[in-house]
Amino acid sequence: MQQPLAGCSPQRQNSTTTFQNPNFLEIQDLTKKYGSYEAVRQVSLTVNEGEFFTLVGPSGSGKTTLLRMLVGMEAPTSGVIKLKGSVINNLPPNKRPTCMVFQTLALFPHMSVGLNVEFPMQIRGLRESERRTRAWELLKMLHLDPNKYYEKFPSQCSGGERQRVALARALAYNPEILFFDEPLSAIDAQLRKILQKELKDIQRTTGKTFFYVTHSLEEAMVMSDRLAILRAGQIEQIGSPHEIYSYPKNAFVASFMGEVNLLDIVGTGNSFAFWELRRSRFLIHLPETLPSEQKAKLLIRPENLRFSSTPQASPANSLPGRILNEFLIGSRKQFHFEVESGTILTVERLREEPIPTPVNYVYWEPHESQILNS
Amino acid sequence: MQYKFQFSKILLSLYASLILAVFYFPVFSTAVASLSEKRYFSFPYPTKDLTFRWYREALNSAQVRTYVFTSLKIAALTTILSLSIGFFAALAYARYSWGAQKFFHKLVLLPLFLPQSVIGLALLLWFNFLGIQPTWWTAAIAHTVWIAPIATLIIAIQAYSLDHSLEEAAADLGASQFLILLRITLPLLKPAIISAGCFCVLLSWGNFALSLYTTGADSTLPEWLYARMTSGYQPIIPAIGVLSVFVAILAVTLTFAILARAKNKVKV
Amino acid sequence: MPKTGFLFSIPYLFLTACFFVIPLLLVIWFGFMPPKTFSLWQLPTFTNYSFIFSQAYIKSLGWSFLLAICTVILLLLICYPLAFAMAKVFKSSATFLTYAIAASLFIPENIRLFGWVIGLMKNGIIGGTLKLFGFQTDSLLYNIPVILLGMCYVYLPFMLFPLVLGIKMIPDQVREAAFDLGASPWQVFSKIDLPLSMPGITIGSVLVFVLSIGAIAEAKILGGQAIVVIAADIETEFTYGQNWPLGSALSTLLLLATLSLVFFVLAKINLAKILGKSEH
Repeated sequence: MQQPLAGCSPQRQNSTTTFQNPNFLEIQDLTKKYGSYEAVRQVSLTVNEGEFFTLVGPSGSGKTTLLRMLVGMEAPTSGVIKLKGSVINNLPPNKRPTCMVFQTLALFPHMSVGLNVEFPMQIRGLRESERRTRAWELLKMLHLDPNKYYEKFPSQCSGGERQRVALARALAYNPEILFFDEPLSAIDAQLRKILQKELKDIQRTTGKTFFYVTHSLEEAMVMSDRLAILRAGQIEQIGSPHEIYSYPKNAFVASFMGEVNLLDIVGTGNSFAFWELRRSRFLIHLPETLPSEQKAKLLIRPENLRFSSTPQASPANSLPGRILNEFLIGSRKQFHFEVESGTILTVERLREEPIPTPVNYVYWEPHESQILNS
Repeated sequence: MQYKFQFSKILLSLYASLILAVFYFPVFSTAVASLSEKRYFSFPYPTKDLTFRWYREALNSAQVRTYVFTSLKIAALTTILSLSIGFFAALAYARYSWGAQKFFHKLVLLPLFLPQSVIGLALLLWFNFLGIQPTWWTAAIAHTVWIAPIATLIIAIQAYSLDHSLEEAAADLGASQFLILLRITLPLLKPAIISAGCFCVLLSWGNFALSLYTTGADSTLPEWLYARMTSGYQPIIPAIGVLSVFVAILAVTLTFAILARAKNKVKV
Repeated sequence: MPKTGFLFSIPYLFLTACFFVIPLLLVIWFGFMPPKTFSLWQLPTFTNYSFIFSQAYIKSLGWSFLLAICTVILLLLICYPLAFAMAKVFKSSATFLTYAIAASLFIPENIRLFGWVIGLMKNGIIGGTLKLFGFQTDSLLYNIPVILLGMCYVYLPFMLFPLVLGIKMIPDQVREAAFDLGASPWQVFSKIDLPLSMPGITIGSVLVFVLSIGAIAEAKILGGQAIVVIAADIETEFTYGQNWPLGSALSTLLLLATLSLVFFVLAKINLAKILGKSEH
């Protein structure tokens, strides 16, 4: 593992270029059972070399279990983990060329920042002078002035500084892949945004493969080249942030992205469907045909809904109702539009956009909606 | 409500002071008696009877020195044994989960809940059966049976609050099991190990019930004191008593000083 | 890492097996040997037990039992208010009290008891002080209340600290909620404090009971010849009496009394939780 220092490897120009090794990390049918409970169910995915890959899922979706299997702290019940083509299932964590940045960061409280960073190199048996040089380089790369921080203890550092120390220590191990277990979750929103960008920069300059785990889709969208969405131990969708945003595979993925409108519809065999409510029933014009009696969800983004005083001409769908509430969110305004008691659609318009009076309807064009599996 | 609460707080403070006064009354009495010249103590005594004579005698007595030396030997061996057994037992108790852990938890408590004199004489029978002549080191084993569980519990309390991810991170960074134990677990548990060491020394130093049966021809200071006390008043006893209080204070202060230094260095 | 836990427990298991369990079994076996023998390989007999029940030994056992019960009750009454104050009322002074009382554990028990002898003997500290005020007193030593005083004194920390731990486990908000719902202080005590601090009360009581039933020094140093306790009988048989089987039989009875209690408690109490293990 005596490779050149992470920071010295050639620069990677752009994340959208084709990757050197498309099957760098391969996971096949990975399963973890605790008794009869399946925490992770037959997960398969591949990560490319030099890629920033993110695994997103709500708490309890099995993402931490999956991560712990990849790092070697948990043994899979079945399935294969391959790194660069060789199976690493049975390698203990200290023999795996992978490294993790913990949620708690796990900085050693009894060692100074410098010794924390030198720890993996010391384990590997590097000479002291060599260790020191590398630790200084790494600290410098992470914007921590070594003169100031080398002797400090983790308890004397701020949250963001500790974050950087943990990353420096992981890079000092010079792993093939760096895993991250939600390290930014305990940091306040403003600093988190800065650190996200920094992390992305480090990934780009070092050319390392990053495998990031988080429950925040927003975070995943900002940093990742590709991301996978995990739900109840299974992968729902894998793709680039653009793909996931534009073409969510199902209602879970769509709703996971934030406030969207999902209508429970029943097909009629052509490009119309019924939206059944408790007191009323609407005939909705779809972007494509839906088989008769088939249940599905219709996704309409809040920004695609518009207000009007009178119903719009076909093929636009118009629904009657009234505005219940309005909220100001930055440059946009969000409205809760009540179609009938208990059924509310979320509408988002630009703040300065005029609203017709009176508001009697919302409408959207069929091509602005998407049919999803429920 | 506020007034009532203040009132009960004052009442409780008075009560606590009273208990503390009663608690340290014997130490005070011993100190007063140790300074009296008279062979037969009677209170109050005139100031001309004030003397350090009994302290001089205690410190110069070769006999007392032998008992102190035996007690210290036993305390030292007990501490070494209890700490090395207790360190691993504490990790088995609190850090790792394994099959018979619940049973192990109870096994650690069991010796503490049995009369010490019974444990002592049981060991006397056992050593006799094995053909071992009881001496100072058999007493140290007896002390260890009772003190190792205490060391285990003290270290276990800190082992519970040990952040698992620190050891996992070390493993992830390439450290072997042994190196993790040496470089991460041991330094992090150091404060608890030091306190446990202090407990070991002092509990062994003051123990009487276990030593009674297991020292054989050797005799510890508490044993000798007991023999003297049950045979009537002797002015050298209070002096030795006060001296051993000083030993205890010294040991506790030393421990605190070491702990404070260690804490300063780690800055947790 | 299931194997590491077992591996690390081995030194302790070895210690307890070799120097605790086997010796205790030996004591039980020895109790069935004929009187005055030192050999283990004789025909088992009940001679010792029938001898014990026909003699004054049963009285010693009774005394030990009675003293232990009284000590537990007295200490519960003495310690509960103090423990409550230390857990819930006092702040920095609670730490001071903890150290002050814990420090006494490090002074040999015999010396602390001897301090009471000096205090209570004829012309001792208390007697002498009373004499200054014109009260002539004889020795206050060598009676049963003094033995009780000595036992309460020596075992106070063993009741106090479990109680403090137990009372600390009562969430403040639960007590406040009870007050808020209209409970009187007595009702809060009996319906909230007492049941919730039960683990501490149980541990403290059993610890004190077990320690005082096996106690010897208090009765001998403070009590003189007033009464004979079971531990003193055992000592006599193992030293002057040179009747090891009889001493073993007496010890077995003492073991029986304590073990039955201890097993009951160990089955019920989850010490791991009290020591601060966080539940996942």
